[in-house]
Amino acid sequence: MKEIQRVSPVGFKSTPLKTIKRDNWEVVMEYSGEGDGPWLVDLSHRPRFDLQDSNLEAFTPFGLTIPKVPGDCVLENGVLVNRMNGTQVSIYNLEAQDISMPDESGYTDVTESTICIALIGKETFSICEKLTALDFKDPQKKPPFLFQGPFSHVPCQIVTLSKEGDKSGLVLTCSRGYGRDMIHSIQDAGVEFNLNPAGETRFTNWIRIGSKIS
Amino acid sequence: MALTITCPICGKRNGYEFKFGGEEKGPRPDEKDLTPTAWCEYVHMNKCVAGVQEEWWFHKDGCGSWFKIHRDTTTNLEMEVPKVKHPAAKIGGGKSDEQA
Repeated sequence: MKEIQRVSPVGFKSTPLKTIKRDNWEVVMEYSGEGDGPWLVDLSHRPRFDLQDSNLEAFTPFGLTIPKVPGDCVLENGVLVNRMNGTQVSIYNLEAQDISMPDESGYTDVTESTICIALIGKETFSICEKLTALDFKDPQKKPPFLFQGPFSHVPCQIVTLSKEGDKSGLVLTCSRGYGRDMIHSIQDAGVEFNLNPAGETRFTNWIRIGSKIS
Repeated sequence: MALTITCPICGKRNGYEFKFGGEEKGPRPDEKDLTPTAWCEYVHMNKCVAGVQEEWWFHKDGCGSWFKIHRDTTTNLEMEVPKVKHPAAKIGGGKSDEQA
């Protein structure tokens, strides 16, 4: 039986040093010349789900309680749950292993229809400032929190995971078709800050530290 | 100044993130005894107020919510919800709360 090939729309010109095969995705764990940050990490292979229901209080996706206020998020055990509005929630598996979509109705697997990238490290928000008017450093917002708005003129979901200086970072998703141009614009904006592509290992190490400080 | 709109979920944002959804025209008319003329007027006829009007907007680049705001069409600025005028102002031409 032939196996499907799952291909991320995100591509970097850097040379991969270490890759693995996971769920038919070719995942780059490390790139050459990753530098000292900031870093741009492709997480499009990480499972993502949308949940829609008029009674969201009845759901506990992966054992997590859904936040009540739109814009609020919960990050536990590597799973991020974002309240979008009164009836919708987006769920990103950023780190947890072996997670599959729940059998209940209301869930949609959006892994293949969106891209997911992480922008982490120092000057993260200096790069964002060149691409969007969204205020990631709003003192009234405590990470993790969700923005739904334009980033480089593309409607995105952006979750700020940390606002703490060199440990800053966010995760961004948007429609898959924007993938190539989104990467191009972020990399272009990040040239003056020495932004480099990084592998999944870099993000995994970051989120384990970042989740403790945010 | 460019139009800004306050989304009930996302807060105050650039007006370019939104799509105009038309004037607020009240509830959809009851289909019983509805004439084509009355339906046509409900769908197509607008008041085109020169001043503050209530209208629908859609946050297309954001959360996807439909909601209503009040906007002054002469200045293109979002307004606070106007005070309810005294019913007598409409019926008998009396003074409104603001005029009194």
